[in-house]
Amino acid sequence: MAITSNHPLYNARRRRNAIAKGLALLATLFGLGWLVLILGVLLWEGFGGLSLQVFTEMTPPPGSDGGLLNAIAGSIVLTVLAVVIGTPIGILAGTYLAEYGRHSKLSSVVRFINDILLSAPSIVVGLFIYEIMVAQMGHFSGWAGAVALAVIVIPVVVRTTEDMLRLVPDTMREAAASIGLPRAHMVVRIAYRAARAGMVTGVLLAVARISGETAPLLFTALNNQFWSLNLNAPMPSLPVVIFQFALSPYEEWQKLAWTGALLITVTVLALSIIARSLTAARKSQ
Amino acid sequence: MNAQTSNVQQQNGAAQVAVPVATHAKVDTKGLPEKITIRNLEFFYGDSRALKGISLSLYANKTTAFIGPSGCGKSTLLRILNRMYDLYPGQRATGDVLFDGDNLLRAGQDINLLRARIGMVFQKPTPFPMSIYENIAFGIRLYERLPRAEVDSRVESALRRAALWDEVKDKLNANGQSLSGGQQQRLCIARTVAVKPEVILFDEPCSALDPISTAKIEELIDELKQDYTIVIVTHNMQQAARVSDFTAFMYLGELIEFGATETLFTTPRDSRTQAYITGRFG
Amino acid sequence: MAEHTLKRFDEELERLSATISEMGGLTESQFAQSLVALREGDTEVAEQVIADDARVDALDLAVQEQTVKLLALRQPMAVDLRMILSSIKIAAALERIADYAKNTAKRSIVLSQGTAPASAVAGIDRLGRLVRAALKDVLDAFAHDDVDKARDVWQRDEEIDQVYTGLFRELLTYMMEDPRTITACTHLMFMAKNIERAGDHVTNIAELVSFRIAGHGFDEVRPKGSASLYAAGSPR
Repeated sequence: MAITSNHPLYNARRRRNAIAKGLALLATLFGLGWLVLILGVLLWEGFGGLSLQVFTEMTPPPGSDGGLLNAIAGSIVLTVLAVVIGTPIGILAGTYLAEYGRHSKLSSVVRFINDILLSAPSIVVGLFIYEIMVAQMGHFSGWAGAVALAVIVIPVVVRTTEDMLRLVPDTMREAAASIGLPRAHMVVRIAYRAARAGMVTGVLLAVARISGETAPLLFTALNNQFWSLNLNAPMPSLPVVIFQFALSPYEEWQKLAWTGALLITVTVLALSIIARSLTAARKSQ
Repeated sequence: MNAQTSNVQQQNGAAQVAVPVATHAKVDTKGLPEKITIRNLEFFYGDSRALKGISLSLYANKTTAFIGPSGCGKSTLLRILNRMYDLYPGQRATGDVLFDGDNLLRAGQDINLLRARIGMVFQKPTPFPMSIYENIAFGIRLYERLPRAEVDSRVESALRRAALWDEVKDKLNANGQSLSGGQQQRLCIARTVAVKPEVILFDEPCSALDPISTAKIEELIDELKQDYTIVIVTHNMQQAARVSDFTAFMYLGELIEFGATETLFTTPRDSRTQAYITGRFG
Repeated sequence: MAEHTLKRFDEELERLSATISEMGGLTESQFAQSLVALREGDTEVAEQVIADDARVDALDLAVQEQTVKLLALRQPMAVDLRMILSSIKIAAALERIADYAKNTAKRSIVLSQGTAPASAVAGIDRLGRLVRAALKDVLDAFAHDDVDKARDVWQRDEEIDQVYTGLFRELLTYMMEDPRTITACTHLMFMAKNIERAGDHVTNIAELVSFRIAGHGFDEVRPKGSASLYAAGSPR
């Protein structure tokens, strides 16, 4: 029998399809709705407090006006330092996993541990660094904060580096080998070049990840009301300041917390967009 | 030039087929220098034996084709010749593969140097992620420190050798991966040639290309024969017949038959060879 | 031999063989009829032979078309290639044999006026029968891929040559004895020559039958190392 549009089975299937589609759409709208609401409130509250003052003045004592300059600077220093420490380690480890130890026992162990680290709660990292650095040194410090963030950076970079290097086809490695290129040269001059965009994306994603981290910093860099770039002393950072100000009863502090949250969100958004466009550029190649 | 002589040979071959009195072209291999001599070669992927007791000679400045159904070991054999299998764990070869008398399977063989002397062109074009110029210069600079002008001229001559120069001379800084498939493959040939190897291995070099690009590559292979010893693995029997002087038919990891191409394609001796080349297989 | 993976190829090759067989049968009957025309002085039979030559020519053309198509579309190799190439040549040989039959028929019309010495005509008939038998055998060899039978035909050519040489001398003798027979005997001499030529073509066909099956003719001994250098992986 020829299948026509009023075939009973076909009609039933069409109804089920319509229902499933409707449910999926509802779920999407529900999820997205909250996201839009969060962003809306954030923009509303954050833009209200946004002014030049935010970027030029230090965090104020309760009840007075001020900005977030010391926190922004502290965040930048901590983030840069964490990336500088974490990226080389992450890239080298990722390179080992993708290029050298692809089939070894060691690398499956490393990969497994890295995956655990990747999903470990960041407060655990904070506690760990507190134990081995802050407790030993006897005081909170910028170094401890940077190291804690670096520990978060490493697994992200390891993972993306390995993934991106694995996307480089083996034929490329064979081609490099076929003109007599030693393995290390092949990795640096061919594989890295082919995977460059993806690896940069990985670092950017790591930056995005750590720029909003609060928990590990609470136990390590703590905070500082004043301008301080001394890495041996407690160091201010945006997330911690937001945490502290948002919980305070003072209206000026709450306002600054909203503004800080907006700054972090915009930064992360910008990094994500850059990372995405890099990946897209790689794909279109 | 060489192409013409080879065409003439092919025509002679055809004429000889038509006149039954002289079916067998007399190919005297005694005077031919052996570039690579394979003796009793076995190859293993882990525990499974992929090649069984292969013995054959690859003659200098001749093209030898490996043909056979998928999984017969022809690519495996090719990848032993530049020890490409070394990149992967659990693969090993036993027996002798003498390259100008030196066993290239021996421990302590300088593999990178070996691969510079035995180049390879792959099934899928694999230009490096860099400019056309750099793709060629890269290999040259690996073993020679040359002034810029010298490198320039080497790049040009390699691209000319690969019949690509006229198509890319105005865009040497463009990314090598922006070229068409056929051009990319010729770029890879230029890259291989630039390192000045003695042997070039082709692993199904045309299987991803259209007929016109294929014809260009085949013409190139014919020309390259003047200066290099060529080994080609191909699924395309007509291609093997067109470009090679000698053909080896492999089946299930064994060398079934080896001989002059014109003989093998007109009067094969083994019934399996006959069945395969006439399309009566499986 | 196993079948081709591509069934159409097998069908086309079979069709080619069938065309050759048909052409062979027709040629054989043309040749036989031309001998009848000579022996019995039957001009009607002779006219028929002359007229039917066009059919053989048409079949020759058909073989050419089929082989060109097979070569262009199937890229035959090895045994298939030899089969197709030998088909063209066998068809050409058959076409020549039919032409000779036609010529014999034409001359038999002239001779039907009755001036030819009867014993000379009998000699031509004997030669013709030998060639006809060889033609029949070689067509059988072709049909059954029988190299031994083809070799047998090939060896019989010597006998045909001897009979021809004898006949030639006989005709010379007739002409010297009685110059009035010169015209008739000259015709007979041409007939003898044509029949002997037809015999040569039969020999060629025998060689082609061997070539298509084994890849070589008869008078060639396989020189060592000229075929596959070594088979089954054994070193030279």
